[in-house]
Amino acid sequence: MPRRFGAIGVVATLAVTLAACAPGDSGDGGGDAVNLKVWGWRQEDVAAYKKIFQIYEKAHPGVTVEYVPYKNTEYDTILKTGLTDANGPDVAQLRSYGLLQPLVGSGSLVPLDDQVDKLSGFPKPILDGAKGDKDGHVYGVPFAIQTLHVIYNKKIFADNGIDAPTTWADMIAGFDKLSKAGVTPLANTVTDKWMLPIEQEIFGATTYGGPDYLTKMLNGSAKFTDAPWVKSLETWKSTQKYWPAQASGVSYTDAQALFTSGRAAMFPGGVWELAGFKKANPQLDLGIFNAPPAPGASVDKTLVPGYVDGSFGVSAKSRHRDAALDLVRWMATKEFGTALSNELQQISPVPGVEPQDELLAQALKGYQANPSPYVTYAYFSGGTPTAWDLASEAFSDYVLDRSNAADAAAHIQRGVDQWFRPKN
Amino acid sequence: MVPAQELTVRPARRSRRRAGRISAGWITSFCLPAFALYGLFLVVPLVTAFYYGLFRWDGTQQGEFVGIGNYREILTRYPLSDEIPAALGHNVLFFVGTMAIQNTIGLGLALLLHRNPWGKRLFQTLFSLPYLISPLIVGYIWSLLLSPTFGPINFALRAVGLDAWARPWLGEPDLALPVLILVNAWQWIGGPMLIFGAALAGIPQELEEAAAMDGASPTRTFWSIRFPLLIPAVGVITVLTFIGCFNIFDLVYALGGSDGGPGGAMDVLGLLYYRTAFRGGSNAIGESSALAMLIFVLIFGVSLALERTLRRREVH
Repeated sequence: MPRRFGAIGVVATLAVTLAACAPGDSGDGGGDAVNLKVWGWRQEDVAAYKKIFQIYEKAHPGVTVEYVPYKNTEYDTILKTGLTDANGPDVAQLRSYGLLQPLVGSGSLVPLDDQVDKLSGFPKPILDGAKGDKDGHVYGVPFAIQTLHVIYNKKIFADNGIDAPTTWADMIAGFDKLSKAGVTPLANTVTDKWMLPIEQEIFGATTYGGPDYLTKMLNGSAKFTDAPWVKSLETWKSTQKYWPAQASGVSYTDAQALFTSGRAAMFPGGVWELAGFKKANPQLDLGIFNAPPAPGASVDKTLVPGYVDGSFGVSAKSRHRDAALDLVRWMATKEFGTALSNELQQISPVPGVEPQDELLAQALKGYQANPSPYVTYAYFSGGTPTAWDLASEAFSDYVLDRSNAADAAAHIQRGVDQWFRPKN
Repeated sequence: MVPAQELTVRPARRSRRRAGRISAGWITSFCLPAFALYGLFLVVPLVTAFYYGLFRWDGTQQGEFVGIGNYREILTRYPLSDEIPAALGHNVLFFVGTMAIQNTIGLGLALLLHRNPWGKRLFQTLFSLPYLISPLIVGYIWSLLLSPTFGPINFALRAVGLDAWARPWLGEPDLALPVLILVNAWQWIGGPMLIFGAALAGIPQELEEAAAMDGASPTRTFWSIRFPLLIPAVGVITVLTFIGCFNIFDLVYALGGSDGGPGGAMDVLGLLYYRTAFRGGSNAIGESSALAMLIFVLIFGVSLALERTLRRREVH
């Protein structure tokens, strides 16, 4: 008797739960009115996207576009599930490079190569971020480029008689001057390991040579363990004496606070930091520069590392595939690029779009002139373990003096060798 | 003549049967919600994880059956093959450290409060108060307190001239795990204190008085009378501490991030699972399910063994 009660109870509970979870009929299957749902991870951008999509709605009567944001850290999991269902998104913000691959692998996205003509006008390195590794198709229209720089406090530089450096020696001389004046030159974090590969690209890119070296790595003629790349770690670590006191315990937020409070003169990081820095301290007068070629560098120009932040793709399960494709076609136009750049203070990858913000314009100009890849994150993240995870771990040990540069490089190479096959 | 026995037994039997019938219904209806929740949130996910772990996955698309393939993959692929034993080692150290520090001090506090000092209730409440705060918040607060740049702890140490003591607490691989043990103990010390306190209150006073009359010293009384009678409480606390230490995730995540702090010095199985599941590439579901099963079998098996061993030692 109790057992039967139990069974009935479990069934009843399950039935109630399932009923509660069952997808409701969205009711927009028929008729002319189309409501497109665009999923994304930027909760802070809802108002801006509303404004941007109003432009589209005006030009396309009968179509409404709704930006549905999810929590950044949970988005990938939510999206994976959402894309398996017609009640999920019509258009979705997609992560780039390796993080995109599981969605491509599960057939959740519509290939856009033949659907969005304007994609052919995008530079190849930009499209790399939205490509399926195995089939080479483009699955999203890239919406933002992130670039990596040394962000500096103009007032501290002026007070100490320093300018944005044009040579490595100038840069080091400036660091020394600041140290003597009691200002921490570089607000680096060590605790938050994911920042370490970013710091390494900022200071080490010229040593290994940027895009040319990447080409060799991809075709198998160069490795992480070869001299140029190993040396790039040493170049980066040579700036260690200019990091904050007890840097090993300085977290990402500590480093940000050191910079915005004026206790540190520079913050090596992504262009995405600018908006946050200005918000934290509106008095800050910010500038950006990139590390000039280090002694013994493989190239003689100042490289600007950058990568594609994400793209907009179409769900294969969408009930409104045509309308969704129309929307992403618009996302490849200058009109969308300009609106996004102005509303979100981001660098749009759409060819010909100039950011209004002076620093963003400078960042984009630098990147277009001398682009450099974010190697570990962008190009070696399509398998497990990703070079980015491996580099974060290895660099942590390296800056804590628990290993040397060659060991760190060997750790990455050993991990990547398990899945990476060079393309000739 | 009807024997007196029969007169009394019959009604008793009937009433017992009635009582039995009633209680069966009641027991069922009371247990049902718990069983349903237990089934839905524990048994179903467990079986699902086991099932998922037997397949290859491509994102959320279930692929071919691979049997123990995922288990082999996580145990042999570099650097996971090195990280799993390292993380397990950290869990073990964390458990040993917690037993040694948190539970010993908890017992000490329970003994002090057992003497009914002034403000007993106040201290009990104060020591148990951190229980109410989420471990994530505890972790973030402590990481702020311990920050080498802005933290008040290092500031205070420097203010009194102990500059050499002002370390980057969460940034040095050798210090990170001990700091984790201490912060964790700060939060949970109320647990062993209350359990030991209740167990001490349950020891018959005559035994202690008898020992005192026989001239036993307080130390001797503790080791010969109190401690043997506290063994059941020690057992409960050991098992709970073991489960807590091997399931830990939130506090370590808040103190050292998902990579487990400097040089992975605080990396534990929970973080490793998190990284495999949420940053693990195409086959993340298969591999993380396999890892989850390994962790479950380990915790379940050892808890069972611990419980058995400690129960055998109990004094009645």
